[in-house]
Amino acid sequence: MGITLEKISKSYDGRAVLKNLNLEINQGEFHVLLGPSGGGKTTTLSVMAGLTEQDSGSVSIGGQDVSNLSPDKRRIGFVFQDHALFPHLTVFDNVAYGLRVRRIKGHEMTRKVENYLSKVSIVKEKGKFPHQLSGGQKQRTALARALVIEPEILLMDEPMSSLDAMTKETVRDELKSIQQEIGVTTVYVTHDHNEAVLLGDRVSVLNNGRVEQIESPSELFHHPKTEFVARFIGIKNILKVSLIEINNHEATVRISSNGPDQSVTIRVKKYPIFGKGKEINLCIHPKKIMLKREDEAVDDNLNRIRGKIVKKTNNGNGFMAIVDIGGTTLYAAIPTNFDCKVYENVWVCFAPDAPHPLCGKKCRAAETKRRCLKE
Amino acid sequence: MKSLSFDLTVSLIAGIFVCLIVLPMLALFTTTSFGELVRQLKSPLVLSAVLISLETSLTVVFFALCLGIPVAYLLAMKDFKGKEILDTLVDLPICMPPLVAGLALLILLGGNSKFGGMLNNHGINLIFSKKGIIIAQLFVSIPFLIKSARDAFESINKNVINASLTLGASKFYTFKKILLPLARNGIYTGMIMTWARALGEFGATSMVAGCIPFRTETMTVAIYQNAMSGELAASTAVALLLLVFSFTLLLVFKSRVKI
Ligand SMILES: Nc1ncnc2c1ncn2[C@@H]1O[C@H](COP(=O)(O)OP(=O)(O)OP(=O)(O)O)[C@@H](O)[C@H]1O
Ligand SMILES: [Mg+2]
Repeated sequence: MGITLEKISKSYDGRAVLKNLNLEINQGEFHVLLGPSGGGKTTTLSVMAGLTEQDSGSVSIGGQDVSNLSPDKRRIGFVFQDHALFPHLTVFDNVAYGLRVRRIKGHEMTRKVENYLSKVSIVKEKGKFPHQLSGGQKQRTALARALVIEPEILLMDEPMSSLDAMTKETVRDELKSIQQEIGVTTVYVTHDHNEAVLLGDRVSVLNNGRVEQIESPSELFHHPKTEFVARFIGIKNILKVSLIEINNHEATVRISSNGPDQSVTIRVKKYPIFGKGKEINLCIHPKKIMLKREDEAVDDNLNRIRGKIVKKTNNGNGFMAIVDIGGTTLYAAIPTNFDCKVYENVWVCFAPDAPHPLCGKKCRAAETKRRCLKE
Repeated sequence: MKSLSFDLTVSLIAGIFVCLIVLPMLALFTTTSFGELVRQLKSPLVLSAVLISLETSLTVVFFALCLGIPVAYLLAMKDFKGKEILDTLVDLPICMPPLVAGLALLILLGGNSKFGGMLNNHGINLIFSKKGIIIAQLFVSIPFLIKSARDAFESINKNVINASLTLGASKFYTFKKILLPLARNGIYTGMIMTWARALGEFGATSMVAGCIPFRTETMTVAIYQNAMSGELAASTAVALLLLVFSFTLLLVFKSRVKI
């Protein structure tokens, strides 16, 4: 079943934490809620589960309004940020708790518990108490405990924040495959955009009590719609430009963040929000920028800007060159076969459709047509 | 040199404190012999005082649990209007002189008041009875249970309670299976302190229940009565027995707190 939040508002002591928040999550979807600390992620989950009462707005699960149902009636599994295992119960009894509540006893109960313990591979730990477990094992226990009741919706609040990188990777892969196997609609909260890409079918970015953008991970990462989303997902290449000339399909813009004597104009694909003389923000994904040597030929269709490599870094996803194009710096992915040195002069090349405006509007309507082109 | 003399002064003061506590107790032990002690403890009057004390104080612990746990739960888990007032009411009996509490109860329950008169008409007379003792002891000792249980409830991770709710458990089931077991140590501590307070209660009890031998004479009342009428041996015997009870409770309390 899907879950829908409609116009949810919530404030604490007069400070608005959620502001008219709308969110629609489809049946069987792995939905990632991405956002900075204090953005209202936990509050959103808590409202979904009925643990926090919203000031206004409604929550429905599978089309049925559950706004007035208490948490124990909502058929939701919740994995808490701090695991929240029952400290006085063993791993087995922690997992069995939800079944005992439902008066499932004896052989059937044992079978179900063992089944989920083995799904998350902690069968060996079943006799231990929470304080005898490692972080990863606590994590797995909490997951098994939430799944064993076969909930309609699984809510997970930064479940991996306390794990080391290696364990994170294993648990993440297991989590994804378990979710696909049982097909439970999942809402997963994180502030780590890598997790969002790796886990999410769709990602929504929550900022300051609002959803700024909902999109598939690849769409989100290549076409962020607001400066906040762009910066939050780690996009460094944001160009401030002013529009000089607009044709049928293309526009000519001047990069205004460069100094006046370093004026550079480029051609970009036309978008509906373009208007002559307007100042807008464009972003370019580092992977869409090609670096070429000064003596290399460049395709006429591409934009070409002279630049100088000022630094090389590795952000974990490969090497990046930071190129100064005259007052503005751009990050460009360095292909493995491209050998370059710091302070080398290069051409920064990209296609006119590589830059994307941070317009704040949806690119895709529900029927996945590009709305931008029509408007 | 300076710091040495400072340490010495502090140690001397601590020594005075130790004397303050230990000397009176030694005095108690030296006034009596073992044979005399046994003889006194076998006397019917002393025996009845011990039994009355145990009966009333244990009943008080039971009622304190029944009344105190819900109040502690309310104070720990809920936000409501008048919470501060309830909170102050819990502290009040601890600060209030027991004699004042006793007087208030005497007036309320006595036949001259409306409430007491109503009870009397229904054949219930709480004054000068064991029931009166229980009410007086409950009044002064229940705050210890409430405060201790409340702290225990409050120290439980809220998400653990939320986890139980999202797993489908009702509030009552959660209370039974999560809150009570996790607050167990705090509740035990509260019970022990309540019992100790009830056992040692004198002021309010004697006001409400008087000192009727074999009927309302508790151990503390017996100590006072015997001492005032010159029966030092009997008084000492009861006092020593009460000390043994207190020490045992203290030991149990200390070992609980460590867990
Ligand atoms: N019970 C509460 N009382 C008062 N303020 C609260 C309460 N719960 C949350 N808040 C406030 O609401 C805001 C959003 O909190 P929330 O826990 O939803 O953020 P979050 O996105 O989950 O952050 P994090 O990533 O740090 O967990 C914060 O500013 C927080 O201080
Ligand atoms: Mg949070």
